[in-house]
Amino acid sequence: MLLSLLMAVLAEGDAELIKRLQSRDPQALAEIYDRYGRVAYALILRVVRDAAIAEDLVQETFLRVWNRAQGFDAERGAFGPWLLSVARNRAIDYLRSASGRERNAIEWEDVDHPSLYTNMERDILASDDARVIRAALLKLTPQQREVIELAYYEGLTQTEMAERMGQPLGTVKTWVRTALKNLRDELGVAVPA
Amino acid sequence: MTHEELQGQYELYAMGVSEDPERSEIREHLNRGCEVCMKEMRRARQVASMIGASSAPIGASSAPAAPSAKLRRRILASVGAEQRGFGWSPWLGLAAALSLVGAFYFEARERSSLEELAAVRSQMRQQAVDLTRLNEAMTIMNGADTRQVNFGAGPKGKVFVNPASGVLLIATNLPPAPAGKAYEMWVIPKGAKPVPAGLFQSQADGTAMHVRTGPLDMNGVTIAVTLEDQAGAAQPTSAILMVATLQ
Repeated sequence: MLLSLLMAVLAEGDAELIKRLQSRDPQALAEIYDRYGRVAYALILRVVRDAAIAEDLVQETFLRVWNRAQGFDAERGAFGPWLLSVARNRAIDYLRSASGRERNAIEWEDVDHPSLYTNMERDILASDDARVIRAALLKLTPQQREVIELAYYEGLTQTEMAERMGQPLGTVKTWVRTALKNLRDELGVAVPA
Repeated sequence: MTHEELQGQYELYAMGVSEDPERSEIREHLNRGCEVCMKEMRRARQVASMIGASSAPIGASSAPAAPSAKLRRRILASVGAEQRGFGWSPWLGLAAALSLVGAFYFEARERSSLEELAAVRSQMRQQAVDLTRLNEAMTIMNGADTRQVNFGAGPKGKVFVNPASGVLLIATNLPPAPAGKAYEMWVIPKGAKPVPAGLFQSQADGTAMHVRTGPLDMNGVTIAVTLEDQAGAAQPTSAILMVATLQ
């Protein structure tokens, strides 16, 4: 168990793991949970702020991954980003229903379909990356950071952000645009052609 | 709408929070296979997933949020990998039957129980050793100053180096060493001779993990592995199987 847990950090092992998941091997799901369970939980908890609900949504996330893994490209796919996207979208979906907000007109199918997560940096859990991300977020101004957090962790549109913050829509749009540009520059996000 | 005008909208689309007219515009570009937009969307998904990954306090000093142990069982049970609960009824019946057998049987059972107890103790000791290694490995992996480097070709994997805690090596595709042999890790400070950093074996499936605790100078240090006699060597005596250098 010790070794299997640590081996999970090897991104090279993902393809084999995904193939096992696609062949409905529950042990593969267990290994994927050991690798991503905590980060998915942390992300969902940050959105819903309730441990019991977060656990339900983590379960929903892994079931969705289990049921939709067939559509994932085991060789070129970036599993971690896909799973986090599913986790985050489940949490936002819950938040929207719980607060009586309209669900977004974009179906999640458009944004977390497994086939979309290809040709990306795969190992998003490397500790170096986590440090870089936090540093990049900390470099944003408080307003820029807030709009990014409202979009990502609360699923607010720019119009909804403007209402929440009591700011003109144009101002919010400027903060969002600048924040995202700065994040891209800081993260140096490389995408294979 | 030009691609220039859509800049900053791709991430919002990836997060499912974009609004019209940009949302429809991006969707239309994607539907007609616009390569610029597809590339921008990959980049946007990358940014979004990196924000999500930063929710977990990896390498942070504060205790990370962790789900309960029950959740793992719940998830596995829901896909049909449920571990059956311990059934008491058959054992109660067995206990009733056992009450009929003679004293000599109980003596034999007692001996057997003592052996089982010894086996459990041995297993617990091994688990304690594993836990210690796990703690050491996690300390190195999650250290604020930890750096990692990949190595590959033949045996491949990652090396994590922390200046205060030590070195963690994780490898795959490393066949079990022949009888009487073991793998030996070396820490090679820049411009200096290799220093032995412990012996280890790989598993039957070719995976291996080795931890060398204690501080080291990370500047230009190289981590290498060779195959040596199981007693170990003071200096490498065979070809290097894996090598990773921190730049």
